[in-house]
Amino acid sequence: MITLSHLGKTFGGAQAVSDISLTVPEGAFLVLLGPSGCGKTTILRMLAGLEHPTAGEIRFGDTAVADASRGYVMEPGSRNAGLVFQSYALWPHMTVAGNVDWPLRVANLGREERRARAAEAMEMLGVAGLAARYPGEISGGQQQRVAIARMIAPRPRVLLFDEPLSNLDATLRVEMRTELMRVHRATGATAVYVTHDQIEAMTMATHVAVMNGGRIEQFDPPERLLSDPASAFVARFIGTPPANLIPVQAGAWFGRMPDPALRGATGHGMVRAEDLALADAPGPDTFAAQPVEVVPMAGRRLVTGLAEGQRVTAVTDLAGPVPSELHFRLPPAPAAIFDPKGNRLS
Amino acid sequence: MTARAGLRARLPAGLGLNLGVLALLALLVAAPLMTILMQTLDPERIGAWSDVLASPLSRNLFWLPALNTMALGLGVAAGCVLIGGFLAWLVVMTDMPFRGLVGFLATLPFMIPSFATALAWGTVFRNGRVGGGGGLLEGMGIAVPDALAWGMTPTMIVLIAHYYALGFTVIAAALATVNGDLVEAAQMTGASRRRVLFGIVLPVVMPALIAGGSLCFAGAVSNFAAPALLGLPVRMQTLSTRLFGMIEIGQVERGYVLAILLIGLSAVFLALGNRLLAGRRSFATISGKGGRARRFALGRARGPLTALALLICLVTTILPILLLIAASLAPMASSLFSGWTLHFWIGEADPAFARGQAGIFNNPQLLRALTLTVAIGAVVAFLANVIGILVAVALTRHRLRGISEAVSQLSFLPMLLPGIAFGAAYIALYGAPIGPLPALYGTSVLLALALTAAMLPFAVQTGRATVAQISGDIDEAARLTGAGFFRRIGAITLPLASRGLLASLLLCFVNVISDLAIVVLLYTPTTPLLSVLSYRYASDGFHQFANAVTLVILSISTLAAGLATLLRGRNRPWLSS
Amino acid sequence: MRTAILSACLTLPLAAPGLAQDLDALPPADLLPLAQAEGKVTVYAFTSRIGRVETAFEAAYPGIDMVGFDMSSTEMIARLRSEAGAGIANADVIYVSDAPLVLSELLASGLIAPYVPPRVAAALPDSAKAPLLQQRLSTKVLMYNEESYPDGAPVGNLWDLTREEWSGKVVMVDPLQRGDYLDLMTEIVLRSDEMATAYEAAFGQPIALDEGVADAGRQFITDLFQNDVVLFGSTDDVNVAIGAKGQEAAPIGFTSYSDRRDNEDEGWALQVANEVVPANGIVFPALLALNPEGQNPAAARLAIDFLMGDDSETGGEGFAPFYVAGDWATRNDITPHPDAIPLAEFNGWQIDPQQTAPIRAEVADLILQLQ
Repeated sequence: MITLSHLGKTFGGAQAVSDISLTVPEGAFLVLLGPSGCGKTTILRMLAGLEHPTAGEIRFGDTAVADASRGYVMEPGSRNAGLVFQSYALWPHMTVAGNVDWPLRVANLGREERRARAAEAMEMLGVAGLAARYPGEISGGQQQRVAIARMIAPRPRVLLFDEPLSNLDATLRVEMRTELMRVHRATGATAVYVTHDQIEAMTMATHVAVMNGGRIEQFDPPERLLSDPASAFVARFIGTPPANLIPVQAGAWFGRMPDPALRGATGHGMVRAEDLALADAPGPDTFAAQPVEVVPMAGRRLVTGLAEGQRVTAVTDLAGPVPSELHFRLPPAPAAIFDPKGNRLS
Repeated sequence: MTARAGLRARLPAGLGLNLGVLALLALLVAAPLMTILMQTLDPERIGAWSDVLASPLSRNLFWLPALNTMALGLGVAAGCVLIGGFLAWLVVMTDMPFRGLVGFLATLPFMIPSFATALAWGTVFRNGRVGGGGGLLEGMGIAVPDALAWGMTPTMIVLIAHYYALGFTVIAAALATVNGDLVEAAQMTGASRRRVLFGIVLPVVMPALIAGGSLCFAGAVSNFAAPALLGLPVRMQTLSTRLFGMIEIGQVERGYVLAILLIGLSAVFLALGNRLLAGRRSFATISGKGGRARRFALGRARGPLTALALLICLVTTILPILLLIAASLAPMASSLFSGWTLHFWIGEADPAFARGQAGIFNNPQLLRALTLTVAIGAVVAFLANVIGILVAVALTRHRLRGISEAVSQLSFLPMLLPGIAFGAAYIALYGAPIGPLPALYGTSVLLALALTAAMLPFAVQTGRATVAQISGDIDEAARLTGAGFFRRIGAITLPLASRGLLASLLLCFVNVISDLAIVVLLYTPTTPLLSVLSYRYASDGFHQFANAVTLVILSISTLAAGLATLLRGRNRPWLSS
Repeated sequence: MRTAILSACLTLPLAAPGLAQDLDALPPADLLPLAQAEGKVTVYAFTSRIGRVETAFEAAYPGIDMVGFDMSSTEMIARLRSEAGAGIANADVIYVSDAPLVLSELLASGLIAPYVPPRVAAALPDSAKAPLLQQRLSTKVLMYNEESYPDGAPVGNLWDLTREEWSGKVVMVDPLQRGDYLDLMTEIVLRSDEMATAYEAAFGQPIALDEGVADAGRQFITDLFQNDVVLFGSTDDVNVAIGAKGQEAAPIGFTSYSDRRDNEDEGWALQVANEVVPANGIVFPALLALNPEGQNPAAARLAIDFLMGDDSETGGEGFAPFYVAGDWATRNDITPHPDAIPLAEFNGWQIDPQQTAPIRAEVADLILQLQ
């Protein structure tokens, strides 16, 4: 179980992270999701013990590993946590086996124990065959596996990942996601995973904290982020394709198409791409748009148009050529309504 | 397609450049060395080899000096790596205060002539064993053992105090590029600071440690001033004092043989160092976004370590400089801190004082030497860097099997050539006319050529780093416009490399104007350089004047170095917190 | 290179002799107009004092530009050889020390030629006229600290230096770093008979040579090195070691008698040990010679004439830089410096460079083995 209470961190006066509170159970897979600069990596580094919180507390189970009020910080090595760096941070002067073995040596394990654990970790990640190679001699994907093997060999209770897949190509990324989930299940440890890729979050996480500007926008299981976004930010960030946020003014779409379902609101109405349809001709519930792009996806097509300066995307079964003017048909009601500041109204 | 274009298409790209660069290096580096070798193989002179290597003389002529030289080289290399590495670690990787100051001071000792450091040592540690009264310590009633006053120990310490700056520069630069993640990954395992340092940081910068050690080794084995001043009184000879002496008493062939052997021995030892390096495979930095190194908190050791670092820096920079200043003001070398006068700097000629020598600023030669020194320094720095860039482009952009290796080796060979041997080689080669070319002896061209060759390792090293930073795409984009090779160098490579180049120019400049080892055999009356002027004052017994001239050299060096530091300012990321 | 030397050898005897012999006989007054026509003279000198000669010469003979270059004798030899090889005749006058090396390396190969100005010829002993003109004489002799030893030199015999009491207390420049010290050692070997006699005077019995040691001179060198003679890199270090004031039992050693003139400036108490048998060291010449292919033959001769000093008691402006206590003019009509022992009363061996040259390298090898 990991508990963060009112966690905060300032760097020389700049607030990187403020008032973060969340709890995940033992064995959870927590993803910190957000754009770059949102503070997610800072939280991860505080969990690792590489940064010291300036406010709040971090507990692993019943143990406080950092408590800013007491000025207490537990050394990284004592936290029983492992970290996979974005750069992998393999030690270039040691072989693959040497990299996996070194943390075990530091832990003063016996020779037999070390050999068994290193072999087990390398087996699990499928890099046993590379044991004698140096990091410079293996591919990026293999380096990634070695970095993970190195992390799990000492059997930490907390697994920390800092955007570990960002340097891999698309195919490898998909493969490694599965691999990571397998490793996570096999170890039974609690994982905290930092990424800006919402697909990674959606596929791997049991819990997701969507972050923005050093704060948590929403902390929920992945499905809830889709079904019930807490803010316009989350709605825009999550989903493939992300939901359309169409401006509404005094209960009218674009300020000119009154709709009682908007209940007089001003702000944005959220319309999922799958709820938006293409109409053959203009109607009372349609609006016109210039076609921008068409992306085939899973046998259907994502059609994006520009309406009053706003990108709008619909999932359609449209066949044949794209007409020179699009007409999007609005659903009977928006999935959600946000005020101009992005707060959820309904 | 014309015949010419067809031919060009079949030849590997860059062949012309590689061959051109190779020819240049053969002329500047390989030819002088071959000449000196051939001269000793002349049937009338070949006896010098057996004299040196296998005769009753060889023990004192070669073997013992060689032993001393190698011991000195290894000791100095180890000491420099230790001290330079220690300071680099403090400056780059810890939260020590005054990091900027220490980082600047630690680069200075290399600019202080080693004989000044040796003099400083003598001023403090000299003991009365060989007469002449003792140094400052004995003056305070502290007995100085012989081993601290003369011989191997003081020579080694003085050379370490001189060359550790090289080690610092190389190691600090390497440490600054160490990916901070590597260190944090080690910290995550719970390893102690010491363990992270020895288990991760040191091995990762091992190539830099070896490179720095090699530079210091090469410097130490070819140094003449320190062993001559501190070693001779206890009959400690090194190869460089021996070969200088042999040339001085007219046994030139033996001197040349010793020079060749010194080169050979140095090469063997440096190759061993490289073997160590090659034994560790694939040190290439692993790509990926590297975090900035988090500084080690020194904790309670912060105070003592800061004091130690400052002490090392002050003792090796300020102390020799202060003593030099005192020695340029005190009428009597035996009491440096009394009766100070500016006569040696600005005095008019006075028959009653200093044998009628006017102060150095009244010496008409000084101004000539000053302008000439600065001019030659500038020309040599320019030439060396032009060649350095060409070599760098050939090595980084157009690698060709065989030729590139030769180019690379040759461009680093001058590092192994002791200055004195290099000078002798140039006299031997260009003293006589070659075909239609006139003899270069007696012209400043010869001096400039030799110094250019001597600066090549620095220039090529910097050049390679700089050129490697420029993406090949940029050059190729220019190529598509149809711009020729030299046009691209001038319009694209040079402007982009200008900042790194400027720093390299100044580095070569500083090296040239303080060089004595090469210049002492090559200077001519038409080229009175400052270092020679200082040497000449000293050999005529006018120490105060010699020291004053040395201080002039030092001021120019420091000015140039300050300028270089300003220009490189942003290239010293380890100084940022 | 061979062609250049060959052509030089061929053209020189054909073109030069008549003219050269004419010039050799001319007095300065007749040389002057010719020299002024040449307008310039280049002097290679082994001392920076050439700078003062330059000024005096140009004042005395306006219209002739003297270009003085100073460098060590070794460098001068290397330079003259290279220049000859390159067919360049830059120097007109060569003013050089290291006589043995000069004779074997330069005179023997015809790179320099003798010239004795007729004006001063009568005032010179024969030894100062051939094989090359000697301008003045300098020394490498035994000196002691007169403050430390107020009763006079602490030794009366060179052999005393090999006694236990002087172990580690005899200083000199490494003879394998400086030619003049090698000449001193060579002279001791050449004077083996005198050394043998002196040995008997010192120890009361004839000298017994060690195995493999050929003579008394070599034995002395051997004994001296075995008695822990201290070597330095330069004469200044030797001067300080011997001369520095405030020493209780200062070392003794070999250096230049003329350095005594710096006693006051430097705070030294250097004094020569003149009452030493068989001799206190060597007296050796500074040589003046012509470049046989020089561009300015008349000005060269005029310059050598000037460097030999004028007809005044002290040699005038041309000789002034060299009129110092402890050096002597070779001309017997120049009054010895009042502050120094006259040459006639000085107890040093005057070296004969022609004798020294052949065995110099051999002595160097001996010293090499002793170190």
